[in-house]
Amino acid sequence: MTTRTADLSYLNNTTDDPVGRPPLVLGGRTFGDVTNTVCGIVENPRTPPLWYVFFGLSLSLLGVLGAMIAYLIFTGIGVWGLQSPVGWGWAIVNFVFWVGIGHAGTLISAILFLLRQKWRTSINRFAEAMTIFAVACAGIFPAIHVGRVWVVYWLFPIPNQMSMWPNFRSPLLWDVFAVSTYATVSLLFWYMGMIPDLATIRDRAKHPVRKIAYGILALGWRSSNRHWHRFESAYLLLAALATPLVLSVHSVVSFDFAVSIIPGWHTTIFPPYFVAGAIFSGFAMVVTLIIPTRAIFKLEEIITLRHLENMAKIMLATGMMVGLAYSTEFFMAWYSGNAYEGFTFLNRGFGPYAWAYWIMVSCNVIVPQLFWVKKFRTNVVLLWIASILINVGMWFERFVIVVSSLSRDFLPSSWGYYSPTFVDVLTFVGSFGLFFTLFLLFLRFGPMIGMAEVKGVMPEAHHGRGAHGDYHGDVPTDRDGMIPVKAKREVVQ
Amino acid sequence: MSPLNTTESGHKYWRSLDELVRTPEFEEAVKREFPDDEWDRLPPASRRSFLKVMGASMAFAGLTGCRWPAEEIVPFAHRSADRVPGVPQYFATAIELAGSALGMVVTSFDGRPIKAEGNPEHPDSLGALTATTQALILEMYDPDRSRHSVQRLGGQDFSRTWADFDPEFGSMLGADGAGVAVLAAPSSSPSRKKMRQAFETRFPESSWFEWAPVTDRNEGAGMSMAFETSLRVVPKLDHAQVIVAFDADFLNDHPASLRLTRQFAAGRKPSAETMNRLWVAEPGMTGTGAMADQRVAVSLGRVAALLGAVAAALVNDHHVEMPGAANGLIAQCSADGLVEAEAAWVQQVAADLIAHRGDGTLMVGRRQPPAVHALAAVLNNALGNVNRSVTYVDVGAQAAEGIEELVEALNGGQVETLLILGGNPVYDAPADVGFHEALSKAKHTIHLSLYRDETSQLCEWHLPEAHALESWGDGLAWDGTWTLAQPLIAPLFDGHTAIEVLSRAIGEKAVGYDIVRSTFADAGLAGSKSLNDAWRSALHNGVVPGSALSSAQPPFSSEGLATAAAALTALAARPAPTAGRPELVFAVDPKVFDGRFANNGWLQELPEALTTITWDNALLMSPLTARDMNLKDGDLVTVEASSRFIDLPVYVLPGPASFSLTVWLGYGREGAGQVGNGVGASAYRLRTVGNLWSVDGPTVTSTGRRYALATTQDHWAIDLIGFESRQLRVGQLIREASLDRYLEDPETFRHMDHHPPLVSLWKEKVYEGEQWGMAIDLNACTGCNACIVACQAENNVPVVGRDQVLNQREMHWIRLDRYFKTPEGADLDEIDDAQVAFQPMTCVQCEMAPCEQVCPVAATQHTEDGLNAMVYNRCVGTRYCANNCPLKVRRFNFFNYHKDLEEVSKMQFNPEVTVRSRGVMEKCSFCIQRIQQVRITSGNENCPITDGEITPACAQTCPAQAIHFGNLNDPESVISASRENPRSYATLAELNIKPRVHYMARLRNPAGNSEQDAGGPPEHGHDVPHGKESA
Repeated sequence: MTTRTADLSYLNNTTDDPVGRPPLVLGGRTFGDVTNTVCGIVENPRTPPLWYVFFGLSLSLLGVLGAMIAYLIFTGIGVWGLQSPVGWGWAIVNFVFWVGIGHAGTLISAILFLLRQKWRTSINRFAEAMTIFAVACAGIFPAIHVGRVWVVYWLFPIPNQMSMWPNFRSPLLWDVFAVSTYATVSLLFWYMGMIPDLATIRDRAKHPVRKIAYGILALGWRSSNRHWHRFESAYLLLAALATPLVLSVHSVVSFDFAVSIIPGWHTTIFPPYFVAGAIFSGFAMVVTLIIPTRAIFKLEEIITLRHLENMAKIMLATGMMVGLAYSTEFFMAWYSGNAYEGFTFLNRGFGPYAWAYWIMVSCNVIVPQLFWVKKFRTNVVLLWIASILINVGMWFERFVIVVSSLSRDFLPSSWGYYSPTFVDVLTFVGSFGLFFTLFLLFLRFGPMIGMAEVKGVMPEAHHGRGAHGDYHGDVPTDRDGMIPVKAKREVVQ
Repeated sequence: MSPLNTTESGHKYWRSLDELVRTPEFEEAVKREFPDDEWDRLPPASRRSFLKVMGASMAFAGLTGCRWPAEEIVPFAHRSADRVPGVPQYFATAIELAGSALGMVVTSFDGRPIKAEGNPEHPDSLGALTATTQALILEMYDPDRSRHSVQRLGGQDFSRTWADFDPEFGSMLGADGAGVAVLAAPSSSPSRKKMRQAFETRFPESSWFEWAPVTDRNEGAGMSMAFETSLRVVPKLDHAQVIVAFDADFLNDHPASLRLTRQFAAGRKPSAETMNRLWVAEPGMTGTGAMADQRVAVSLGRVAALLGAVAAALVNDHHVEMPGAANGLIAQCSADGLVEAEAAWVQQVAADLIAHRGDGTLMVGRRQPPAVHALAAVLNNALGNVNRSVTYVDVGAQAAEGIEELVEALNGGQVETLLILGGNPVYDAPADVGFHEALSKAKHTIHLSLYRDETSQLCEWHLPEAHALESWGDGLAWDGTWTLAQPLIAPLFDGHTAIEVLSRAIGEKAVGYDIVRSTFADAGLAGSKSLNDAWRSALHNGVVPGSALSSAQPPFSSEGLATAAAALTALAARPAPTAGRPELVFAVDPKVFDGRFANNGWLQELPEALTTITWDNALLMSPLTARDMNLKDGDLVTVEASSRFIDLPVYVLPGPASFSLTVWLGYGREGAGQVGNGVGASAYRLRTVGNLWSVDGPTVTSTGRRYALATTQDHWAIDLIGFESRQLRVGQLIREASLDRYLEDPETFRHMDHHPPLVSLWKEKVYEGEQWGMAIDLNACTGCNACIVACQAENNVPVVGRDQVLNQREMHWIRLDRYFKTPEGADLDEIDDAQVAFQPMTCVQCEMAPCEQVCPVAATQHTEDGLNAMVYNRCVGTRYCANNCPLKVRRFNFFNYHKDLEEVSKMQFNPEVTVRSRGVMEKCSFCIQRIQQVRITSGNENCPITDGEITPACAQTCPAQAIHFGNLNDPESVISASRENPRSYATLAELNIKPRVHYMARLRNPAGNSEQDAGGPPEHGHDVPHGKESA
């Protein structure tokens, strides 16, 4: 133990050396090491006991979710705490929360890809998986929150004998399109990016079932030059396609509120504010998940401290944006001179829901300020706690927006106070069950790190030339052909 | 009979344990020809099978015509040949409440009564009904009503039939009625009077007692003091410029409240000459107090002193000449001992009465002792108001002994058989009388009642009573107009009326129809018509026109007034209540009346106008009283008087007199049924026969527990931020001004809103044909709640229960927003009194409806005539529309609220309106079914819809006629004209929603020198352009 502790200093690649960039993969690994590490997790015949503990817990929570949904559908929406002024409660809060979390993955894989942020390769698969599962959780809530679940398909423009179409003026309908498009593209992007890695697992598989299963999933990937060529083009195209979606999906979600007439919802700042918040919460969730994962699966050399530090920086930036949005809202409420608007924000800060508002501000604005200090950014435990607090804060942000605005709108006679029931709470808790069940299955059976991509940013990928610097250098002169192809070949050989 | 059961071997062979032990039930069954007494009971029927049974009954009823004269319900007899299924019919009938008959018109749909409206021909209804009386429909279909007679023997209940009862009845009554006592509620019914006489003739030794917890006995006694005759006071508010109400909630708690409301509201037309002025002195905060132009809070015990002070002011300051007989009484009046606010009020009242001699009226409520009524009669007389703004009629009340005498007789062993006709004395008799204990002293007790209630459960016999809508009956309106009641349906549960039971008692077994008709014939009301024609026309109209009693004006009785003087001296000496010795005042419940309607879900869930409390009663007190008594809103307290106590939650509202605590009667029922049992606490437990309406010095101790009252609006207590914002908004939402300010600048209300010009984002629809609109006159609305129940009955609005109301899920399509108003700069900690503003709020059918734009499935749509319609079938229940509704008038079916309804209750549903399922949004439709009905008729007849032809349920029943509905495209319509009225404004118009419901601003008319101005928010300068909107 002591030796290992002594060795750990090499894991810190966060120092900025003006001469050369620190490597993104540590420990002097070869391509083969990377493959062995990542595939080892999938191939290990002995599942770690801890995995079973978590999986059992998640599965029971998933059962709770199922039971709560069944109870809801058999009894009615009244089992939730909703009432007359507050027609949307935890279900919509949870929906926005999960959709927000679902932002990090595609942002990391698409936008950072386009921006040539090579450090993304270690975490993008992981984050994308998280995105897909978060969007799956998010998708449940709008579906079950309607009064008559059995006709929820009317929200889709399905041709029918009644010639009834949905109302294209409704932001809720835009939401349906935005979220389903985002879910589809994210899924494609994730799956497509995984194909070379699935092929690697297939090639290494010994058990016939695994051979067949991964064989099917790998879609006949042979790692030919042509395959790589098409893969790279498609990946680039999908990244370009996904990039506007990252911005649009939460913008459209914010339209649910911004297009309405309710003070506290009806504001033009919502789209950028929501997107910033979504990225903020998405990164927080990635950090929350990745820190224990890298520790348990011993991936500190691939998911390095530098990766975590970078994410902390992004959280700092987006947290500041969110904070700016909060203050802008207050300023506009005062500056507009609209009495209803003014009241809504005073009421948020000092009314019956002030407790929620101040939780939100503390977690989302104050906590990220820690990340100005490098010592805190590189302290894994602190980072992990902060990321959880940010998740809590971002949930409360949605709660404050949805509930406090509705609870006191125009007519004081109709003001109310919403409290959740146990069904509200357990449904939310249960949605974590779904999320973690899927996530744990992925960790056990899927390549949680994009091996092909990681190899592409390793020094070995560049004819032994220098280190990482090339890629951050001014002119990457020798991008002769498909670098990852070479990397891949070495592995396959 | 025992040998039959014993064989030679000595063994007993038996078939059932009942047979073996020979229970009375078994004995009874052996005697009966058809042992199964259930065979002819109406089974819980589905709508379909109910119609079948009804249809068959009607067909067979025709067969019986071969041998016996059929009871006829006249309009039905006319129509049966060409009766169109599915087309509703309307029948006039009546209900007697508190000794006065109220005319109704009931809608019958294929033989099924579904909706009660007022009878426009009836003087006390004028087409309107109270919230309570409209709910009679629901009561009739109440599955908790008793369905058969019950005999209680040896602690066990046995179900019986009328046939079982009759022979027993004969033996219980004996030959001459010795030891027989009858207890009944006072009634104005001529048939009841006749049957009582017949009963007393047949059983000369019997005795007759009367009891009802809510009567106008004090008024009658006061009139007896003044005139030696028990007269009824009939106020004529249409002739009154100045109305002074002393503890008189005449807009809600008066047998003729509907007529008085109509006349009062008609007198609120804004002009300096014609607008009346209402002065109110009262201990609690009532609807009448909320309408007052100038109100003073005074404890119940000191109302007499206040009236005395007015009398003194009239005599001393204004030198009004009093009738000679009243000298002694007037001498007892003095203006001493008033606090500043009271003295100012008295001075102003006196001056106003003098300024309007002959056009004023002083009204005294039923809670005040007789001497106060007598004094008011003297003052009305001296001011020349009699026969102008107040008249007296003599209805010839029958003398009867009260419940105290009955208890005395019971305890003295003089009563062997007690026949209780209706009422529920075990529950509502004064606690100190001991009726409950005395009841067991009678050998036989018989109770005729709609429910097997507290009294029935203690009686030997319970007999099911026919509901008012199943009965023949008659009664007198408050002014004496002869009113007839006819059944809308055959008794659902084999009930009979009190008059039929009396007829059985004398062995005649006459049916209600014959009794009522013969009373009618005997009364000589036919005039020039044949009896048959007169009867038919009276049945058709529900009233005998012109049968109102002529006004009586007997001379004053100096002897009676001397008694009054003595009583007044004692009354005037009563000290004001203090924190150590508060005053507990009993109020008639504005919903469940004396408790008889406790099992009615519509009424239990109706938010009381001032407190918005549902499903409970509470101890109401003013904020400073609560502070000084160390109590808080929501504290559960024990109120104790004479070692009897009840637990009540405290509700704090501004307005009640200091240390005057009000509690509604009619709660805490134990035998009401599954709806009403255990709701609230019974204030009857503290009531004493000596002082029916108040308790001096009860002890109020906190239990230390808290209790959540299910109110539909925020409590008076609210956080400071909300409070301040509400203060800012209400002036915009409910616009008010003093009459003077309005006359000075009629445009004053239009200057009250600031908003930029309202521009439409898209091309607005141009309406051809009709586009509907509504106007609600806040100046007329008295907050009586009738519209809420009317809407509930018309539109199948579900009752959701206390828990759901607590969770703010009440379903009413129209609600009454209530706000309190205090002068600007008032110290929040010192507020004890406030003005009240009501605003009926329903879907305003926005032209630019925020709900329509956000519904993802287009389930809420604009119609061709401008309505914002809900398509229930299409609704998936996202609730987005409700969120986006700025008025929060949309209601969501969180559960299937109709799931557990019994079949009989479902018969009340209006078949024209969809019963909404779970998960669907609903809201006011402007009664679209009524619009469509008229539209179809007018289409068939090829004539245009005329103004006033369509009336939504709320507008139809509004006693103040505050709600107007019509076609905005018709320049001649009332609604178009109202839009031009300078008082017309739209709530939240600045949101550019273009509401189709406009409000007419409220005016207050305080006396000239009193600047209790009812200003709205400060006006902006005239140089600032204000928004114009086009809807």
